[in-house]
Amino acid sequence: MYGFGILKGMGITMKRFFMKKVTQQYPEVKPNLPPRSHGSFGFDFDKCISCNLCVNACPNGVIRVDSEKDENGKKALQQYNMSLGYCLYCGFCTKACPTKAIYFKTDFDTICYNKTDVIRQWKKSEKVKEDYFAEVAATTSEEPKIEQKERGV
Amino acid sequence: MALMEENFETQEYKINLGPAHPSTHGVFRAVLTLNGEEIIKSENHIGYLHRGIEKLAESRTYAQFAALTPRIDYLAGALNNWGYVVTVEKLMEIEVPERAEYLRVIIGELQRIASHLILISSTCIDLNATTAWMYGFSAREGILDLLEMVTGSRMMPAYYTIGGVMDDLPLEFIPAAKKVIADLNDRLNDVDGMISGNEIFLSRTKGVGVITPEKAIEFGITGPNLRAAGNAYDLRKIAPYSVYDKFDFDVPVLKDGDCFARFSMRILEIRQSIRIIEQAIASLPEGPITAKVPKIIKPPIGEVYNQIESAKGILGYYIVSDGSTKPYRLHVHSPSFVNIGIFPEIAVGMYVQDFIATLASFDICLGEIDR
Amino acid sequence: MELINNIFISGANLIRNILHWIGFGDVFTNLIMSVVYFVAIAAVVTFNIIIILWIDRRVSSFFQERLGPNRVGPFGLLQSMVDAAKLIGKESIIPDAVDKVVYKAAPIFIFTVTMMLYALLPYGQGMSAVNINVGILCFAAISSTSTIAILMAGWGSNNKYSLIGGMRTVAQVISYEIPLCFSMLGVVMIAGTLNLNEIVLSQGKVWYVFLQPVAFVIFIISALAELNKSPFDMMEAEQEIVAGYHTEYTGMRFALFFMAEYANLFVLAGLGVTLFFGGWDGPFLPSWMWFMIKTYLMILFLEWVRWTLPRARVDKMMQFNWKVLIPISIANIFVTGIIIKLFHII
Repeated sequence: MYGFGILKGMGITMKRFFMKKVTQQYPEVKPNLPPRSHGSFGFDFDKCISCNLCVNACPNGVIRVDSEKDENGKKALQQYNMSLGYCLYCGFCTKACPTKAIYFKTDFDTICYNKTDVIRQWKKSEKVKEDYFAEVAATTSEEPKIEQKERGV
Repeated sequence: MALMEENFETQEYKINLGPAHPSTHGVFRAVLTLNGEEIIKSENHIGYLHRGIEKLAESRTYAQFAALTPRIDYLAGALNNWGYVVTVEKLMEIEVPERAEYLRVIIGELQRIASHLILISSTCIDLNATTAWMYGFSAREGILDLLEMVTGSRMMPAYYTIGGVMDDLPLEFIPAAKKVIADLNDRLNDVDGMISGNEIFLSRTKGVGVITPEKAIEFGITGPNLRAAGNAYDLRKIAPYSVYDKFDFDVPVLKDGDCFARFSMRILEIRQSIRIIEQAIASLPEGPITAKVPKIIKPPIGEVYNQIESAKGILGYYIVSDGSTKPYRLHVHSPSFVNIGIFPEIAVGMYVQDFIATLASFDICLGEIDR
Repeated sequence: MELINNIFISGANLIRNILHWIGFGDVFTNLIMSVVYFVAIAAVVTFNIIIILWIDRRVSSFFQERLGPNRVGPFGLLQSMVDAAKLIGKESIIPDAVDKVVYKAAPIFIFTVTMMLYALLPYGQGMSAVNINVGILCFAAISSTSTIAILMAGWGSNNKYSLIGGMRTVAQVISYEIPLCFSMLGVVMIAGTLNLNEIVLSQGKVWYVFLQPVAFVIFIISALAELNKSPFDMMEAEQEIVAGYHTEYTGMRFALFFMAEYANLFVLAGLGVTLFFGGWDGPFLPSWMWFMIKTYLMILFLEWVRWTLPRARVDKMMQFNWKVLIPISIANIFVTGIIIKLFHII
């Protein structure tokens, strides 16, 4: 008969009307992400040996490593910068690191309000300084200054 | 209708099926000259998504550029990644271990299923069957969860390295894959039942945008569009690359060449891809997942062109190397760029609604047209 | 039960008595009563629009395996208010090159026409605002003037997409009015009257959906075409002509088009219920409650069809109308006439 395809389609829709819904009520129910998920970055300061393999692996030049030569002649890490605005979250840096100092965490909730907060920085001392934002803006010279002026940040 | 129009003075007008339109899949612009609702002439205008990827490749090393390749065709990212990696390996004559090849096939076919599901859902919503669109995308969620479990990214996975793959399968992958495939079959049957037998859908897509096999070859169309026109040209069977000759799968071919054939072709191909994945999971060999590759990749001086069967057609990469760590020139031969060349030819005499249905069934991705 | 049944009628009589007691003359009382009726109809329209908006967002999303809005109020019931508040708060943009008079008048016309139709429906026993003897004829006449309003919107927007939308609309709406009216004629022949209240009364024994099933199917299809719902929503085809005739409208004018569409849905569903399903007739519950329940069931059915089916092509839709629906509806009238005559002979 002519209309059977339409009636079959309507039957399928009515069947799905009563089945379980796939919506997750987000802020109350967080999604259950697999452990390899590329959420945000975690960095272990003591494991880093300043080999710069991550800097060379990154396609966009996101990572900047500041290190100084120690008394023994070994390199000691002072500061580890990632300007996440350029990051593709491809994960090449995590694969290139020989000591697994940089790794992915599944926490994807990394929104921020200022443009300077996009730059993540790990320093030697754990204390949070008062003029943290000013220092971040001053030390990341790879951000072209003109962008900050236009946005008024 | 033609009889009436002889005494009727009508005026043609140009309309912009503009870059910002709900159903050009991306920023595609077609300038149509209409008479009433009938198209007299159509021109393609592209370039609104040009990001300079081929120029960017000249200042990235070979390993770094592999992260940019999934962004070319963002709906079938893993397959673009595969095409690039295979081309560099051909230039450097690297042999990939067998387990890595099987893993490449599994992820590649999963990505092919995800890309075809987008076409099925988008065709449905372009004809305003909104519910079928939702069912297709819920099915795709299961595939994206599998991709996230293995590679870490849902869309645009940068999983393939020169010489192998990045990571092995986690332990929970195989039971999860079985569950996802069962759910996918369920939803695919639902979408099939809702749409393929629907009289209104059939009247909208049967006999619309017909392509004959000769015309398809003349315009260089490849992929599922060519197979829906009657020509059984699948690179996985004709010139098998990777380990495709070890799997038992069919190449579906349909004779009509209209929108309905192109739509059904994707559903048939999804079922074949599921067969390949099940066979690959069942016969996964042990071994290393990457070959021995030098730390700094410097290919010998020369040029190479290699192609694979992507979800939308034949995807080719052309690399010219001058012996340094960065390519001298890289060109991506994308299937959608060639496929849209046939639109000015078949659009003449169609209605605007038929043009939208044809555009939807061709499966173009603006990311790989404009690069 | 009798009290709840007649609550609206008693309310109207109470106001009339108060006016007499204050001392107004007859003419004045009737004038003020008609204003009261108008306010009541406007309240019914608003109430229905709010509920249908909620159905469109929440219940329709159940077909698509997702929960709709459920944050604003319990079960998302206040979502309609918030939507209306958002639309009122938008800036009213009028493009430079539109035809100002036509552009501004179109939403007002279309909403007025739909509101006029609400006055004719019998909401319960003795509860219709205007009791005309030629109810169905009036209905068909008023609902066909909405075509000109849509053409005004399409033409006045100075936009080629809106023009295509407007032209498609005129072709579709005036074509599908014919089977709509012919399918109602079968019911009129059996009932013997054009008055909507009496048609409801004459369905006491058996509903007309069982006596006239073909007419019912034709009525549903034509109603979908008149209301611009899938599979006939060419007028506002979002995927092809970017919202059709209301592309250039924002803010409250767009809200008027939207509300007119939902109000029209209630009116045609209400007409279908009156003609085929017995109107306000039913045991136990008060009559106006039965009318509401039956109308909303019909609305849910129309929404179910809308979310399942894709859109038809313009010329196929016209062919379907002129080559299939109209001959079947004329044949329906013939067969009904013959059967009634045989009944009388027997």
